[in-house]
Amino acid sequence: MKYKDYYAILGVAREASEAELKKAYRKLARKYHPDVSKEPGAEERFKELGEAYETLRDKEKRAAYDALGRHRPGQDFRPPPDWAQHFGAGGVEDLGGIDLSDLFASLGGGFGRARGFRGRAMPIPGEDFEVTVHLGLLEAARGTEVTLELAMREITPDGKILRRPRSVRARIPKGVTDGEKLRLRGKGGPGANGGPSGDLYLSIALHPHPLFRASGHDLYLEVPVTPWEAALGAQIEIPSLEGRLSLKIPPGSKAGQKLRVAGQGLPRPHGGAGDLYAMLSIAVPGTLSAREKELFEQLRAASGFDPRGHFAG
Amino acid sequence: MDPELMLLAAQSRIALAELAEASGLTRAELIELVEYGAFAPQGAAPEQWTFPAAALVQARVASRLRADFELEPASLALLLAYRERINELETLVRELECQLLR
Repeated sequence: MKYKDYYAILGVAREASEAELKKAYRKLARKYHPDVSKEPGAEERFKELGEAYETLRDKEKRAAYDALGRHRPGQDFRPPPDWAQHFGAGGVEDLGGIDLSDLFASLGGGFGRARGFRGRAMPIPGEDFEVTVHLGLLEAARGTEVTLELAMREITPDGKILRRPRSVRARIPKGVTDGEKLRLRGKGGPGANGGPSGDLYLSIALHPHPLFRASGHDLYLEVPVTPWEAALGAQIEIPSLEGRLSLKIPPGSKAGQKLRVAGQGLPRPHGGAGDLYAMLSIAVPGTLSAREKELFEQLRAASGFDPRGHFAG
Repeated sequence: MDPELMLLAAQSRIALAELAEASGLTRAELIELVEYGAFAPQGAAPEQWTFPAAALVQARVASRLRADFELEPASLALLLAYRERINELETLVRELECQLLR
């Protein structure tokens, strides 16, 4: 079993009072709570904090933790002889192969937050899992199947706690969007004593696409056009998610103008699709041939167009 | 679509009992949160209430914040309203970013 220094995680002294523990926890929870924090790694850090605080706030668990002695964080260690019997972890015999958090959860606290179990004879619901699934835009558009490797906690009939890796396959329907949440009922951790299985919550994160940007079911594509295409209008080809499209550039188009191609965005789960927006930019050649330069100079001489006329006065 | 799969942005609706069971909030806490305006169910009485599936995401957040910061329902309702506002603004920022020329 690997040692974790719960006091160091909370940044308090070993003799810290209950009030000091609470204050330290709240301060750090405010910083790392995954629902409010944007810090990188906040979720992992918050899990550690929760585990440390859940153990140290409970007098019996704190005494049990202190009785484990002091070790370096991450160091392999075994609890002193009779520790399990003394602190009521009798059902947990193989202390070598389990996580410290599971060990303390088995001392009568709770598995998970509001789904805590109180006593082994009661039905214990399985853990809920929340997992972020990263998808490409095409996978999101077409739907896909993902396999997730989850370390699921199992409670054997004799009260042993084990964490076993389990593969869970989940079908992602077509048309999910960035940040979308899915619930897969009963696909979380197994329950014990007749308790129901937990749920699996998936949060969709779309990989950035080299061409398209997605906002909900709408897609945005920057479409560079030449100055003469913008001025005179043109029929051009642009990529779409599943192929190519013909797009009419109206005469007198401006940079930043948004042309809507209906129904060419991401498909919606229950039919229909978002729109594709072509965002026009005007591209000018970096170097001009002698002929191009001559023609632009002719245009400058001939044109009375003043784009800054509104600055005057 | 798999029968156990629910898209939480979808039009489907869930009852109070299911919302409580899946979020970890109690029925009484949810009723109080409704009274404070954190959720707006359809239906006359709690037995008939239905919530949009998206309420489950909010209710799970509420459940975690309540447990982790020992918040009472009025503060939770306020926090959820701010969170919702931040989500709306983030969506707007994303949409505007999509429209920026690089």
